[in-house]
Amino acid sequence: MNSMPSPSNPSRYEGCTLTGALAVVTQVRDAACIIHGPAGCTHHNFSLLHATLLGNDTAAIPRLISTRLGENEIIFGGEDALERCIARVHEAPPAPAAIFVLSTCIVETIGDDTAAVCARGWETPVIPIRTSGFLGGVFQTGFVGALLAAGTLAEQGSGQREGVTLIGEKNLEYDVDENYAEVVRLLAYLDLAVNLRFVRDTDTAALSRLGTGAFNILREPALREVGEALHRRHGTPFIDSFPVGLAGTLRFLREAGKLTGRDTRDAVREEEAYQEEMLAAFADLAGARVRFDRLSPLLEEDAAAGEVVAELAAALDLRVAQDGIPLPPPYPAPVGTAGVRRLLHRWRRAIRTNGRRSF
Amino acid sequence: MKQIALYGKGGIGKSTTSANLSAALAESGLDILQIGCDPKHDSTRMLMHGSRIPTVLDLIREQGDKNLTVDDVVHQGFSGVRCVEAGGPEPGIGCAGRGIIATFQLLERLSALDGDVIVYDVLGDVVCGGFAMPMREGYAQEVYLVTSGELMSIYAANNIAKAITRLSKRVRSNCRLGGVICNAKNIEGERELVAEFAKRINSSLIAYIPRDRVVQLAEVHKQTVLEYAPDSEQAAVYRRLADELARNTRTSIPTPLDDDELDAFALESIQV
Repeated sequence: MNSMPSPSNPSRYEGCTLTGALAVVTQVRDAACIIHGPAGCTHHNFSLLHATLLGNDTAAIPRLISTRLGENEIIFGGEDALERCIARVHEAPPAPAAIFVLSTCIVETIGDDTAAVCARGWETPVIPIRTSGFLGGVFQTGFVGALLAAGTLAEQGSGQREGVTLIGEKNLEYDVDENYAEVVRLLAYLDLAVNLRFVRDTDTAALSRLGTGAFNILREPALREVGEALHRRHGTPFIDSFPVGLAGTLRFLREAGKLTGRDTRDAVREEEAYQEEMLAAFADLAGARVRFDRLSPLLEEDAAAGEVVAELAAALDLRVAQDGIPLPPPYPAPVGTAGVRRLLHRWRRAIRTNGRRSF
Repeated sequence: MKQIALYGKGGIGKSTTSANLSAALAESGLDILQIGCDPKHDSTRMLMHGSRIPTVLDLIREQGDKNLTVDDVVHQGFSGVRCVEAGGPEPGIGCAGRGIIATFQLLERLSALDGDVIVYDVLGDVVCGGFAMPMREGYAQEVYLVTSGELMSIYAANNIAKAITRLSKRVRSNCRLGGVICNAKNIEGERELVAEFAKRINSSLIAYIPRDRVVQLAEVHKQTVLEYAPDSEQAAVYRRLADELARNTRTSIPTPLDDDELDAFALESIQV
């Protein structure tokens, strides 16, 4: 299925499938990732991941290995090179607990059977991910493919269901840990804890818990395909998005309560009061003339972002007008009440800066 | 230097025709280089008296391409014809088309592409860009389609004509269709049928090679007809072909038939 839902972040609907997949599987800290293709595919992605992670104050070096194909392997086939590489990675200390094998455009073009090489009775699990962007894939396709592939490390049929599993956190986004903290805060109202971050800063053994949560929370609706697949495999129900915006946050609480048979009235009341208090701190923005430009004229309007803009304009008494101060649109959509607060800080800075300039 | 390429459906007799053509051209005192562009690497076998020369890609695979010389890849055969086989990957893996491109690049680097006439003998159909390599700028200026009167063979020839049309649109392309060679299967009205096809794609029947038992006899003796039976009528046929091709200056950009036209042509040919 090639799912191209309304884009909430344009960079995810372009780019390379490899980058999307690596954004997931490099978070399995004791695993190694083999990229079956020319060295450049690995170098480029390594640089990109490294730079992005550094920008997010993370210094973890992803363990990427290239099969370094040259023209001869393209002509005569690259399967032997892949087999040698897998064997070599097995021996290279520290021994990886799992090996992910990602294919590139060129090996799919010449018909290398990557999955067959991975299936040759290796000591550690060797998991193929078909990440050749020319087949129509983009960053998001690789991201989804990697989640589904990593999901094969889950244990089948577990009796006990406890905690909540987060599916597909955006490991490359700046706010990833703040967003996680917000979800943890909201779940605490209902005495729910996070069972597994699938996949963020984890290891191979932890992935076996994938099917044991009471329910899954997808990072965004674009991951519904993954939510549905996990529901089929493990019978785990899911909420299709992290909480977005103010009303969205309250909806999220009610939904989580419904899935676990909890009464959420107190929680919702408490969170509403917290939101009122948070908004009161931005009362100084009332009456400001603002406008929201689209991130790109090529993108469709994002429904969730539109709802956030509308509810905040109403709550803060902002005047949306053509000649208003341009405000950064809510991309990515703010997660929870805390996400809204950070967004409002950015808006306030823009209003103050531009407001001063125009007077 | 004249560079010509023979294309046609697999099994239609391209290699037999190419080898005898090269032998006949060499007989008239020309320096000939024949390059087999097919992973089956049997284009030059009759010229080499049945021995299989190491292919360019085998050499690259085994020794790398750094230290290869012209003498490693070019082998002298019957009547002084210099023979090269591109070769290819094992069946079922890798990319044979890219192999052809790598072969050409190596031959270029070794300055091995010389002589009075270069004959490229290319696999069945232009299945991908790699097998169109001999038609590209700087290589064959004339393509000859080898076909019998069988419809499948004519379909394949029509497909190759499409490739020529496409490539001839490129700015610096000088690849043209030289003509159609009928390698007969002894079908009734075969010569007329192939001539009519050639006309419809804006070309002409340049040679008709009748079916003759001596071709098979020469083959089991691992020789070209020109060597095995130099005085035979069939040897004379190949000499006329060589003469025709050496003198030919009439080339064209083909107008391949579309599917409906092919169907109509097939129907007419059955009714004839």
